[in-house]
Amino acid sequence: MTNAIQVLILGITLGGVFALMASGLTLIFGVMRIVNLAHPIMIIWGAFVAYWLFKLYGVDPIISMPIAAAFMFVVGLVLYKVVYAKEAASAKYSEMTVLLTFAVALVLDGAASTAFSNTQRVTSPFYATDAFIFGPIFIPTAQLYAGIVSIILIGGLFIFLQFTRTGYAIRATTQNRTAAGLLGVNVAFISLLTFAMGSALAGASGALVSFVFSFYPAKHWEWIAVLMSLVVLGGMGKLHGTIIGAFVLSIIAAFVGTYAGATWSTITFFLALFVILLVRPQGLFGDPIEGS
Amino acid sequence: MSLTSPDATSPDKVDDVVAARRAYNEGLAATKREDRSWGFAIGFVILMAALPLLQFNWNANYILHMALYTFMYIAMSSAWNIVGGYTGYISLGHNVFFGIGGYISGMLLAGAGISTLITAPLAGLIAAICGVFVGLITLRVRGPSFIISSIALLMIVRILFDNWDYIGGSNGLSVPVTSLSAQWAKIPYFYAMLVIAIVTVIASYKIKHSKFGLGLRALSQDEVKAESAGIDTVTYKVMAFAISAFFVGMCGAIWGEYLSYIRPNIFLIILVAANMVLMCIIGGKGTVTGPIVGSILIIFFNEAVVWQLGFSAINILGTGIVMLLTLMLFPLGIVGTLAKKGHLPRFLDWD
Repeated sequence: MTNAIQVLILGITLGGVFALMASGLTLIFGVMRIVNLAHPIMIIWGAFVAYWLFKLYGVDPIISMPIAAAFMFVVGLVLYKVVYAKEAASAKYSEMTVLLTFAVALVLDGAASTAFSNTQRVTSPFYATDAFIFGPIFIPTAQLYAGIVSIILIGGLFIFLQFTRTGYAIRATTQNRTAAGLLGVNVAFISLLTFAMGSALAGASGALVSFVFSFYPAKHWEWIAVLMSLVVLGGMGKLHGTIIGAFVLSIIAAFVGTYAGATWSTITFFLALFVILLVRPQGLFGDPIEGS
Repeated sequence: MSLTSPDATSPDKVDDVVAARRAYNEGLAATKREDRSWGFAIGFVILMAALPLLQFNWNANYILHMALYTFMYIAMSSAWNIVGGYTGYISLGHNVFFGIGGYISGMLLAGAGISTLITAPLAGLIAAICGVFVGLITLRVRGPSFIISSIALLMIVRILFDNWDYIGGSNGLSVPVTSLSAQWAKIPYFYAMLVIAIVTVIASYKIKHSKFGLGLRALSQDEVKAESAGIDTVTYKVMAFAISAFFVGMCGAIWGEYLSYIRPNIFLIILVAANMVLMCIIGGKGTVTGPIVGSILIIFFNEAVVWQLGFSAINILGTGIVMLLTLMLFPLGIVGTLAKKGHLPRFLDWD
């Protein structure tokens, strides 16, 4: 029983991190219908920013999170302007943008592996190997901090979307792009802003990832499928769905990892993706998919 | 004509209409079949088939290796084109079937000593059967969800193969090396790949100019309308997926014995799938000759990069940049863009 509680707690703290990692992805999909396959490599770039700041100047990854976020915000801004903006009118929009994000993912992956090589890295701030111990239960400090910071950030994102005018505009664009445009929302600007914000969230989660998991550039292919399983489970583009999906799958994966071996913990996400597509392709909270 | 006219419902009239419609459909599928440059195609194949003659005069193993590698990618990107180009389902995990084919033939070679040259069709068939099962699950969703599920499939298979001790785990399988001398060792695989490439391209051509291909193209445009026009969309797309998997599986089988080792980190990396997609897109998605042009170009480009810089991470970067520029500047690919402008040379026009 204690063991189960222990696993549950680990699952929940990791779930927070996963939720933050996937939130940018689902935000971008919601507003622009772009499945950003380059999102995980952006997370890894964020992790590299935190890693080098820590390595060279000893900056704590949690402190360097805003820097990583700002860096990816700019990258997202440039990428959207250069690559995606003119696709908005394309007839094969969703297919084209996926291929474009795939190409961007290859470019960012190649750039990262060329610059930093594909060795496993992890940022090790002083709390990385600590743990809080409550009787028989322990919580790794790094995971706890990362989970708490993630939940705070997601809370902030919710408040932003719920209570600011820009947030209204983003939600309106998510619901219906054309109608939002007719009602005076500057859809082009909102798309640009959302893409940059999504990228910034990737950067921020990257800073947390840098001390929670070990990372290397080529790892992002695995994370594409992991993050997508969370997004698909919750219903594509539904932020609350994604967050619930992240916690559910992360807890399941933690149990699978404990009782069946660490290898099968990752496969939980991929198998979940298949089962969801088979049983309920639109996810838990999604709108019915056309043609299914 | 009024609806009450007795002629309108008489059986022979209906048959006439059906026959006329069928003739029209077949005409539509078979348009422009006359002015093909068969001479060029046959000449090109003969030239390729004569390449091993170089081996008599000097050591042309490098040329043969590059030609073999190109044939493999011509076959694989043409096969990918059947799903990704005609049907419009972008699969980014298509090298799963490459791996399955490689492992099945590799196991037979390692266990029973039967050459992959014989077992390749069997490997292709098993890959196709896997394709049917995978297709029945993943082809239920289209667009982004399908693409994601194809990547997830690749990840699942990679983890399974990495941890399956019976087939060697992440160390992979070692298969016996051929007993031929270094001078002739490449020749059987060279011809095997050439034959696979030719068969795949012919299949791709035949499919494009058949009612089946017309159906695939219809469902790539609008699946609901295609369904309501009487196309059995599920059977069509699963069939396309299986045919594609068949050819990719055969390539995997030959490639495994040729390399003499079969490892997950050679067969099941996303770069293989990315190459198939990129070659098809740069040549022209949905065209018959596009994948051929794309394969030759990309392999040439890759080789030049490796020769100049000799560094594999740069290769990923280069692949990405080329793909990005192609998609942004001429998304129809070389053959598609030329055809649109009306400048397509006749020897490339097989659509």
